[in-house]
Amino acid sequence: MLIFVADADVSWEFSDLIEAIYSAPTYHLVFEGCLILFIVGLLFQHSFLPSKRRGGSGDRLSKAEEDQLIAEWQPEPLVSGDPADEALLASYQRCATSQVGRSVTYSDGRTLVNFATGNFLDFIGEARIRDRALASLRHYGVGSCGPRGFYGTMDVHLHLEEQLAKFYGCEEAVLYSYGFSTIASAIPSYAKRHDIIFADERCCFAIQQGLEASRSKIIRFRHNDTAHLEELLQRQAEHDRRNPKKARVTRKFIVVEGLYVNCGDICPLGELVKLKYKYKVRLFVEESASLGTLGATGRGICEEAGVSVQDVDLIAAGIENALATQGGFVVGTKYVVDHQRLSGLGYCFSASLPPMLAAAASEALTMVDEMRGERTARLKSVSDRLHQRLLAELDNLWSVEGAPMSPIKHLRLHRCTGENSLPALEAACAAAADAGLLLTVARYVAQDLGQPAQPSIRLSVNCNHSDSEIGSLLDFLKSYATGLAKK
Amino acid sequence: TAHSDPNPNHVYFNSRGIWATYVIFIFITHFIVLSIPFISMALAWTLTCQIHNVITYFWLHWEKGAPFEPLDQGESRTLTHWEQLDDGVQFTANKKFLLVVPIVIFLLTTFYTRYDQIHFLVNALSLVLLAIVPKLPQLYRVRIFGINKW
Repeated sequence: MLIFVADADVSWEFSDLIEAIYSAPTYHLVFEGCLILFIVGLLFQHSFLPSKRRGGSGDRLSKAEEDQLIAEWQPEPLVSGDPADEALLASYQRCATSQVGRSVTYSDGRTLVNFATGNFLDFIGEARIRDRALASLRHYGVGSCGPRGFYGTMDVHLHLEEQLAKFYGCEEAVLYSYGFSTIASAIPSYAKRHDIIFADERCCFAIQQGLEASRSKIIRFRHNDTAHLEELLQRQAEHDRRNPKKARVTRKFIVVEGLYVNCGDICPLGELVKLKYKYKVRLFVEESASLGTLGATGRGICEEAGVSVQDVDLIAAGIENALATQGGFVVGTKYVVDHQRLSGLGYCFSASLPPMLAAAASEALTMVDEMRGERTARLKSVSDRLHQRLLAELDNLWSVEGAPMSPIKHLRLHRCTGENSLPALEAACAAAADAGLLLTVARYVAQDLGQPAQPSIRLSVNCNHSDSEIGSLLDFLKSYATGLAKK
Repeated sequence: TAHSDPNPNHVYFNSRGIWATYVIFIFITHFIVLSIPFISMALAWTLTCQIHNVITYFWLHWEKGAPFEPLDQGESRTLTHWEQLDDGVQFTANKKFLLVVPIVIFLLTTFYTRYDQIHFLVNALSLVLLAIVPKLPQLYRVRIFGINKW
């Protein structure tokens, strides 16, 4: 019987409603009885966490199993007595008593020509930067004592951000206090779980940490191989066609470096931008090594490749190489970059860059701007000259990895000379110190996926390296390798 | 209050007065429905029950993610509100409360509709399908036929 409109002959008195219970159909009362039992049963249920919540196997150990595992556990020594670490430990004993500029003086009195650190534009020891930093130190003190959101923002930070944005021709810049955490914070603030990132397989460790923190699906493509990247993007596009709903909520990114620190190569940015527009993926470029070293005026890989900065979604760089201070920045459109002021964990939850370093960076950037690429051009020509001489004179002794104009080169012992092992290269570096040269083996964290199969000596060229310094480097390399080959 | 949970959706239902607020919302809905002059008492109660079940279904079991940007690295993007409450723990006090309220509304509705057959059918279906079954721990993170997965 349908009761919809207010009916005069149906009574809604409470006593009549109670009486209606007695004339209720049985199935109804049974259903209600089940519901009441369900409620009572619910009251006695304990709360629990479903085991497959985090996607793991989730089988909890019983008390007995736990006790057994604890009883069986043997602690490993805190410090391994591995003799292979000795050379590395010995290098920590070396103590520099001067600035680590184009040449370094050590506590044993030796002065070595520095081919090891990333002082590409020779700004270490530059009087103008030092004076600006000291003036800033007297004005602000040393540290900023707070993150950007908690009284750690000073006018030097805002000024440097504006200056960086103008330098690149972008809308906005965000300043980080540590170069490593710049890209490691930038990637996870945009890429989340269920997103896809296509990363070059020789990316630096900072990028890898960012990729891991993002919890996204990482697809690595062969180093600088745009054909392989296109194949992977094509495969992903087919997946997306089969599952359009999932594709609509999946963000896709490509992460590359402008100048690869682990290889000395330059990325093919023009082709990457074409792929970006063809497959609708976002492009992130990490420019720590290419700031100041590539481009006609030192504006990085975009200028070098002739690509508009608007075509790259995000440029992240550490200023710890060419600009010779500390920190990093991310630059791009306001819409993209502003997001990091709340989501960039390295920005929100770390103390801001000490004001004296921000002032020094600002001065260094002004110098780069004023020089209009003079030192960059000099750096490229020195690197190129070194590269040509390495190829010409050390042909069967050392093999060189890296682009000719790149200030970062990786040297490996040629197989004709001997076995290219880490101890052999470390011995070469020690011998180089005796010859007045500071060389370093490229060192990697054990979990670094970008490390090469073969160890190498990483050369970092300074724009002011003179011909005689280059000459002495080549002479040493030649004589050392020839000596090895004779054995 | 400051806490270390990256997603406020996990904990806000423990706030003081939330349960009372929820019940007050139901009362307000019921009073509005009751104020409509031409419908009978039975229809008013059935309407309240249906409106409650439908709205809570969309609120708890259909919409995924959060209206703000949580710091959980995208974990809650594919989770409905029910799955986010209490960070996925089943049979907490909040969840038991949210399971019991639709049942109590149903019991009241059947009483006030004088155990009418059609009203019973409509209310029982919406109770079971929209209010009880999605809240069971067996259906935690389950998407039937892939509906609403992404």
